[in-house]
Amino acid sequence: MLILRKAEERGKSDLGWLTSYHTFSFGGYTDPNHMGFRALRVLNDDRVAPGKGFGAHGHRDMEILSYVLEGKLAHKDSMGEEHVLGPNEVQAMSAGSGVIHSEFNGSDTEPTHFFQIWLIPESRGIKPSYQQFAYDPGEKRGTLRLIAGPDTNTDPPAAFIHQDARMYAAVLGDGETIHYPIPKGRHAWVQNAAGQIDVNGMTLKEGDGLAVSDETSLTLRGAGTAGGELLLFDLA
Amino acid sequence: MGDINALVVFYSRYGTTEKLALAAGLGAIQADANIRLRRVADRADAATIDADANWKKNLDRMNRDYVVPRPADPVWADVIILATPEDISTEVESYVSSLSSLGSMNGKVAAPLAPGSRQSALKPIYSAAACCGLIVAPCGESSDDPIASATAFGQRVTEMARALKRGRESFT
Repeated sequence: MLILRKAEERGKSDLGWLTSYHTFSFGGYTDPNHMGFRALRVLNDDRVAPGKGFGAHGHRDMEILSYVLEGKLAHKDSMGEEHVLGPNEVQAMSAGSGVIHSEFNGSDTEPTHFFQIWLIPESRGIKPSYQQFAYDPGEKRGTLRLIAGPDTNTDPPAAFIHQDARMYAAVLGDGETIHYPIPKGRHAWVQNAAGQIDVNGMTLKEGDGLAVSDETSLTLRGAGTAGGELLLFDLA
Repeated sequence: MGDINALVVFYSRYGTTEKLALAAGLGAIQADANIRLRRVADRADAATIDADANWKKNLDRMNRDYVVPRPADPVWADVIILATPEDISTEVESYVSSLSSLGSMNGKVAAPLAPGSRQSALKPIYSAAACCGLIVAPCGESSDDPIASATAFGQRVTEMARALKRGRESFT
């Protein structure tokens, strides 16, 4: 079963310095029909104006991933971590028993476009932690590059998260195709981050998402003139 | 989402009191509160601040990370953590004195703290909080680890606010 979540039907926040599209309910946008999918709770498509950002605020019991498409994201938190994140870098923060953090556009001249992703952890009160790693963009070209998952010490490196879920990224040129088998009982979410892709014959334009259940495999294909960039979540 | 709303209001020039406020806020989160972090604006004029490079540098940084308290914040809060520097209490005291004009503070918890638990800084804030109907929860004596103490204080006053809220609900 494939259920399309169209880009234009997502919730939207426009705060001047921030334009955010919410695939699932978030902040002032609440829709009981879109509260998340399996362990995937938040999928925000955020554009932050130069020099602006999210001031100090707190979280607990959430696995928070940031995936930058354009620009820089400057991170600072109560664990003493202070980093700048760009495209082809991944940030994963386990809020666990509690963190306070801020996220700002790391540039005073260029906007930042990034996906903010929250996954519900498998248990409450875990010790807060922060991870960041960079990868070669060639590693997601025409193939699914593991970004985060429940396995430790993966090669090449991926972020560890406290949940039976895996997040992959891929950039597909027009006609470039990937097959992904889905084990029985598992689910998937496909988010088109940029361009155009076809998933099992269904076209996803930029910002569209697709909930996948009771399917045995996915065929992901780049479409349009330039292909697309996608995020795939493999979920229990 | 937690069942208790904790507002953390602080005044800081060089970041010391900010660290205490963040530690207390973290304690509130650990005790399952929703938090808002707010910095009270300086009363000093721009020329005075500009003449102190360290103050100016920290102010520019803090102005990015925090907004000033909004009128809706204390109305939203079940507990208001108030962090003041050890030698200046005017900014936070003035803030507390303004609260009763924003709505009833009766039964909410005020939780003042200061570096070294300096009583001369805390007493005006205790007094201002009590005058507007807040239940004052003193932070007690300072310890060797002020950050850990502030975190424990944030947890303790959140639990206190929770117990009061549940108590009130059991009567209605």
